[in-house]
Amino acid sequence: MAQFLEQIMNGLVLGGIYALIAVGYTMVYGIIQLINFAHGEIFMFGAYFAFTLVTFLDIPFWIALPMSMILCAVLGMIIDVIAYRPLRDASRLSALITAIGMSIGLQNLAQLIWKADQRTIRSDLLPSFFLGENAINLPGGAALPYRDLFIIVLALVLMVGLNRLIHLTKVGKAMRACAQNKVASNLMGINTNQVILITFAIGSALGAVAGVMVGLREVIEPMMGYYKGVAAFAAAVLGGIGNITGAMLGGILIGLAEALGAGYIDSSYRVAFAYIIMIAVILVRPSGLLGKSTGTRA
Amino acid sequence: MRNLLIGLLLLALAFIWGCDAGNQVRVAVAGPFTGSNAAFGEMIKRGATLKAKEINDAGGITTNEKDEAGEFIKKELILDFENDTGKEKEAIAVATRISTNPRILAVIGHFNSACSLRGKTIYGRKGIVALSPGSTNVKVCEGSDWMFRNLYRDDFQAAFIAKYIKNKLTDLTTVAVFYDNDAYGKGLADAFLAEAEVIGLSVVAKESYDRDNTDFKAQLTSIKAKNPDIIFISGLYSQAGLIVKQARESGITARFFGADGVDSPDFLEIAGDAAEGTLLTTPFTFGAGGDQALKVAEAFKTEYGVDPDTWAALSYDAVGMIAEAIEKTYKKESSIEDKRKAIRDHLADIDTPEEGYTGITGLTYFDINGDTVNKPAYVKIVKDGKFDTAEQQMLE
Repeated sequence: MAQFLEQIMNGLVLGGIYALIAVGYTMVYGIIQLINFAHGEIFMFGAYFAFTLVTFLDIPFWIALPMSMILCAVLGMIIDVIAYRPLRDASRLSALITAIGMSIGLQNLAQLIWKADQRTIRSDLLPSFFLGENAINLPGGAALPYRDLFIIVLALVLMVGLNRLIHLTKVGKAMRACAQNKVASNLMGINTNQVILITFAIGSALGAVAGVMVGLREVIEPMMGYYKGVAAFAAAVLGGIGNITGAMLGGILIGLAEALGAGYIDSSYRVAFAYIIMIAVILVRPSGLLGKSTGTRA
Repeated sequence: MRNLLIGLLLLALAFIWGCDAGNQVRVAVAGPFTGSNAAFGEMIKRGATLKAKEINDAGGITTNEKDEAGEFIKKELILDFENDTGKEKEAIAVATRISTNPRILAVIGHFNSACSLRGKTIYGRKGIVALSPGSTNVKVCEGSDWMFRNLYRDDFQAAFIAKYIKNKLTDLTTVAVFYDNDAYGKGLADAFLAEAEVIGLSVVAKESYDRDNTDFKAQLTSIKAKNPDIIFISGLYSQAGLIVKQARESGITARFFGADGVDSPDFLEIAGDAAEGTLLTTPFTFGAGGDQALKVAEAFKTEYGVDPDTWAALSYDAVGMIAEAIEKTYKKESSIEDKRKAIRDHLADIDTPEEGYTGITGLTYFDINGDTVNKPAYVKIVKDGKFDTAEQQMLE
């Protein structure tokens, strides 16, 4: 029982991380129908920004975390302006290829700046809250580090907040309008480019949080965005791409599938379980768990 | 006009080529110089460079070629570093590039067993020697005339670890095996499990992971449920470091045992305090080396500011051995194929202790496969954040 509880916790933490990244994919897709492959790299840069700020600039972690979010938000906006905006009216394939190019470019940029070595933030520079040994003891001997609990809670809070933002604020209304019809919203006086920029900024900032957390739990390396990004993208598709609650749900499901599959079936196929779940769902519901089925295929 | 230009260019190229080959001999060093096991690559590069520098400072490699005065010409040894990033795909590209380069006489590498196995077919087909200072998978040299290595094989290493746990760590009775799902990790784990069965060591859990993984909590939770006394990590340092760290976070109190893949200072950096008490096997330790080894260690430290590790030492010896082979076999008039073949024949002939090459890691000679079977395994332990030679060795 304790083992099961611990595996569920492992899955939820991983799921929270995937959910935070998946939101970035799904928001951008919802508004401009672009699969932003560079999003995984923004996540990776988030981890590196925090690492650099804490390790080399002696900035306390609690300040470095929001700074890293802001830096990533800016990075996300820059990517939109230089890479995607010029192609807004071009075919979707061109934008997709650009996104892949951006992703590879950023991976190599990170290798240039920080080398290919694996990095971790030194534990003496972190608040004790984030150290793995400080944990809540669960019944049956399992332990849940505060840091991992923080990831789950943060993911939930940010999701609810984001949901409220989109449904209750003017910016949110503008986003929904753009997602429905960009030309019409433009005619209604909405500055669509600005709304898209805000979308990139929010998605990137959430990705940055996930990056910093993975950097604490695991390790920081230039390829981390690729590995986690692909799983998060699968989560977004599973939940119904374009749907924020779906991304959350998809992330949790993929995380649980990985943990329980590896824990109870066979650890050599750990990653495969996530994709098996995704494919099974897509076969039954082609638009994902919460995705709207559209009459015309995009 | 354009043809003329191209012609001139070709002439110039041929000229440079000719000049270059005149007073140099080239050997490729293939290893993971970037990527998740770049720390190994860095040490290989440094160890190899140090030996090449020593050879060149002493005048270079003597050949059978004579200058006008009738003196033997000494040639400079040039190392070409080829990065296989520790991945099979890159290893194929690197092996092809090396073996089709008509200036390269021999290869030192690859490091990762999976890469050596990929290189094996290519080097065999093109006829160029590859001497690995790091690949321990059983199959690396098997069935190829062109593959050699100057360290032990995994079947020996794995059996050694199983016996060591059984005979020397008598208070630890149950073992879990956690292996990297690639040629090295799986080969080592399989050999360990086979030996454990023979000697009656109780294996309570067996889990695996993928090299790209950085989260091992799910597997560790499964291992924890079986409550082993010791966990054998059959993989490389970067994942091993994370595994040890995450295991301690998950409340696992078992000890850890690693193989030579964990033998890198970066393991200590990644694992931090969690590394304390981890045991591992290694083909060589400077603590057990002779005066010559200590002298090299000192020179290494002066040159690079860090202490050399096992891989630096084995690469140092590999360069020495290849240089000796070139010196004894190089004939200017031979074609590149014959030069490469002569090196192979020379190495293949080193098959008794008397003919062996004495380097800082001890005597190296080969069996019929090209494997080195005489080198012992040493046990190291992490103590106060550093690798230390373990008190209990099992050299007999």
